[in-house]
Amino acid sequence: MSDINSTNPRTLGRGICIITGASSGFGQALAYQVSCYLEPRSVLLLVARSGPLLQEMKEELQSATEEQQLVVHCVTVDLRTKEGVDETVRLARQEAVDEIEHVLLINNAASLGDIAKFETFTNPDEVNSYLSLNVSSPLALTAGILQLCPCRLGLRWSVVNLSSKFALQALPSWVLYCTAKAARNMMFSVLAKEQQHVKVLSYSPGPMDTDMQKEILRLTNVNHNPMPCHESAAKLMKLLLDNNFSSGAHLDFFDV
Amino acid sequence: MSSSQRTDLGRALCIITGASRGFGRTVARELSRLVKPGSVLILTARSEENLRSLEVELAGSEAGKSGLLVQCVPADLAQMAGLQSVVSASRAAFSEHIDHVILVNNAASLGDVSRFTSSFTDMAEVDSYLSLNVTSCLCLTARLLQALPPRSGLCRSVVNITSLCALQPFKSWALYCTGKAAREMMFRVLATEEPDLRVLSYSPGPLDTDMQLVARSSTADPDLKRTFSDMFSAGQLLTCEASCAKLMKLLLEDSFTSGAHIDVFDL
Repeated sequence: MSDINSTNPRTLGRGICIITGASSGFGQALAYQVSCYLEPRSVLLLVARSGPLLQEMKEELQSATEEQQLVVHCVTVDLRTKEGVDETVRLARQEAVDEIEHVLLINNAASLGDIAKFETFTNPDEVNSYLSLNVSSPLALTAGILQLCPCRLGLRWSVVNLSSKFALQALPSWVLYCTAKAARNMMFSVLAKEQQHVKVLSYSPGPMDTDMQKEILRLTNVNHNPMPCHESAAKLMKLLLDNNFSSGAHLDFFDV
Repeated sequence: MSSSQRTDLGRALCIITGASRGFGRTVARELSRLVKPGSVLILTARSEENLRSLEVELAGSEAGKSGLLVQCVPADLAQMAGLQSVVSASRAAFSEHIDHVILVNNAASLGDVSRFTSSFTDMAEVDSYLSLNVTSCLCLTARLLQALPPRSGLCRSVVNITSLCALQPFKSWALYCTGKAAREMMFRVLATEEPDLRVLSYSPGPLDTDMQLVARSSTADPDLKRTFSDMFSAGQLLTCEASCAKLMKLLLEDSFTSGAHIDVFDL
């Protein structure tokens, strides 16, 4: 397996990078950072529901990376739908030319779900809908992206699962979120075990200054001392650039 | 509430899912022998025929003749109507004489183990799997906890039939591992919320059931498949009875930490 790091250590190579939930918060911060480490004629697919926010990001990114000839696509879709996932895969396939050195998928899009006692979750539609976005969708998207092009020497595959401390630790009233994060960690662990050539990372970013964190504060009155997104994004970048992590590992911002 | 001298599970209302075959059927039989007269077993599964044969068997048993009530509720727990029918039957069977509620979340499916993770491009397939194995379990448990609320003198036990797959990834078993990991966390959250509830994730070990048959004939990963078929050939699969006996012992002793994962081989 070709090791890009031995020729040029601080680069993600000429890649196709897909980031879900890219229009705000951590996804957005990561998009800006990833763009700095992609080689010329790389492709960045920003996936989110908000067209206008993505368009703004695209303009900023393209002007900041003019020399780099970074191609940025806004993929305005709802990942809760089959159509949304399929469209994302379709666009990625279109861009996955032979010269691509790295396919990097960041499964970041997620929702908090209702924070409430276990006993209140009596409605299967609510739970199914939550699991669909937070578990089924990243599985289907990851599977689709992995089928983009055949494995070959010189092609690096990286799949990131935005995880949480609560994938490992049970928190009262957080059954939806904990359950989905635990499910995702396992799902990506199975993938890591099956596919030796795909580097899989479950990254727990720590509490960050995002809309989700505001929602957590509003619903629980607990302040988790969130950090700016770029701080956690920088740590994830370092992990991806160093590429020393064990595939399938769960790594937390505070451990690294 | 722990007593190593306990020889019965009280006058209990037991709800067992996936009771028509395999481990669930055995759980129903074993519970029927450990509960006091005046107890009720609510047996649910999709197969009405298999449930009825079990009902007849239990009605004719010693327990059945001494006052155990057995009620079949054929239901698809992934549907709202199915959930409602099990909860209604449970609520109707509940009385002031019941001192123990035991819910055994056993119903589950393997998912397609003949394929690898990167083949699951169809969201609907994954949604459907999670709906049965995670959502229905969460919603049934939540509804029953609401319908059969805490009361002085009432013990409530919730069992999650889990697997080593909840803790360790296995190649070509993405859906099953994911569902079991999800359930395990789900019940750990429940245990943290309700200290008076007795929550147990019991891993029954490799059982000689229809599920094992599919595992050893369809698993895509050749090493894993061989492991299962070797276990079968070497007579290493456990009988449901042998594993169930351990679960009953855990319930009788009632000294497990709520929310814990206990494997048959731990005992």
